[in-house]
Amino acid sequence: MKSFIRLENFPVVMKYWQLFLQGILVTVLLSVSTVVIGFVLAMVLAIMRMSTIRPFYSLGLDKDGHEKEYGIGHTISKFNPVSFLATAYVEILRSTPVIVQVFIIYYGVFGLIKLPSFAMFGFIKFDRFFPGVVALGMNSGAYLCEIIRSGIQSVDGGQTEAARSLGMSSVQNLRYIILPQAIKNILPAIANEFVVIIKESAITYTIGVQDIMSAVNAVKGATFIITEPLLVATAIYFCLCFPTSKLIAYFERKMRRGDKR
Amino acid sequence: METRDNVLIRVKDLKKYYNRGAIKALDGITVDINKGDVMAVIGPSGSGKSTFLRSLNLLEQPTGGNIEFDGVDITKKKIPGPDGRMVRMNIDIHRQKMGMVFQHFNLFPHKTILDNMTLAPMKVKNIPRGQAEEKALQLLDRVGLKDRASAYPIQLSGGQKQRVAIVRALAMEPEVMLFDEPTSALDPAMVGEVLDVMKELAQAGMTMICVTHEMGFAREVGNRVLFLADGRLLEQGPPSEMFDHPQNARLQDFLSKVL
Repeated sequence: MKSFIRLENFPVVMKYWQLFLQGILVTVLLSVSTVVIGFVLAMVLAIMRMSTIRPFYSLGLDKDGHEKEYGIGHTISKFNPVSFLATAYVEILRSTPVIVQVFIIYYGVFGLIKLPSFAMFGFIKFDRFFPGVVALGMNSGAYLCEIIRSGIQSVDGGQTEAARSLGMSSVQNLRYIILPQAIKNILPAIANEFVVIIKESAITYTIGVQDIMSAVNAVKGATFIITEPLLVATAIYFCLCFPTSKLIAYFERKMRRGDKR
Repeated sequence: METRDNVLIRVKDLKKYYNRGAIKALDGITVDINKGDVMAVIGPSGSGKSTFLRSLNLLEQPTGGNIEFDGVDITKKKIPGPDGRMVRMNIDIHRQKMGMVFQHFNLFPHKTILDNMTLAPMKVKNIPRGQAEEKALQLLDRVGLKDRASAYPIQLSGGQKQRVAIVRALAMEPEVMLFDEPTSALDPAMVGEVLDVMKELAQAGMTMICVTHEMGFAREVGNRVLFLADGRLLEQGPPSEMFDHPQNARLQDFLSKVL
């Protein structure tokens, strides 16, 4: 009878420890870069989505200078092209599979743009790694944007009313009142997204990024052992994701301390 | 009759419609608010009292009519600037002069009581921290909460929160205070302490507009009472006349229910 795991296979797999070590480094590097790009992008997108740029604003005013309540002028005056672009971006990225986005970025976009082919740290192929980071960053930017936006909107409207009634501008309100409270609210969701990014980065092995999954593939190709390297990868991914979520949960508790009596 | 100079806020034919005019929250309110007035706004729920108050500092954007505050029509998007050219009306400048107190206090939960009070003076009026804190502590002392300066809002009772909310607005040295049902969310036992602060404020000469269900307060402290129903100003006058000799049938009906 064939058993699911053969213990004698692990020493064979372990001969390739260097591949796994490189894989860990790539996965961590990939995730951190993705988080940075994603977060910056998300901030820009969230601000774009909540902006009040209305180029046709004056079409929605009556001759007395008051805003009209209805009519075609009112509808057109509400149009915000900046918010529209950001919303379109977010909805398209959220409604398509990551692997399609990764392929489009790698084969499509970077098929046209020639990247320098050098190796970071002596083994990471930049022309594979970079498209992976860009694709994942663009994807997580869309998700993080929604998290940030919902966090900002979850802060009680009375807070804005109080701040504005004291004469604070909308920017001051956002900076001193809304964002500090919003960030506290969205920390669990952000932690979740960070963990998702670590796991999702596995998909980039399909474009030849040498992450943990590609180490599994290499071992499989060399030894025809499949289950055991996958179990090693499982353990590694768990050891990356679980502490990350616990760490952020710790910071979250620490920040909540101010709310308690 | 009052002179032109004495008018602080001139409200003319103020309208606020929702759903293409199907709902008329405010249907043409005209009233002058003088310096030093303590005005109680009463009426059944849904009568437009809160909408009226919130329109005064443009938390609600009116559908029609004008609000002249300090000689500037704040419902206009563009107003004549100092050099006569049309400039964008900046509501923030006018809001600084209108303190507002809300039913649900709306203190900033992530800031201490002292920071709640000093934030706007420091960021909006650029007052140095030391000076802002000194003023804040003075005001807190006035409402008996100086020892809670370093506490967070969640550590205070409802009455204490509302007293802080009042002095937070006062820290901006406003010309008029708007109260939006300041005691409606409080335990009955805590209503008194908030009303005492408001009474003291009125006696100090502050112009106040109070949307309230506290008829005793309206009668005792107010010098004018407005009665709103269905978005219209149905009757106004000094409290003694309004409460003892109401003319309008709706007011008579309303008073028979609440008194």
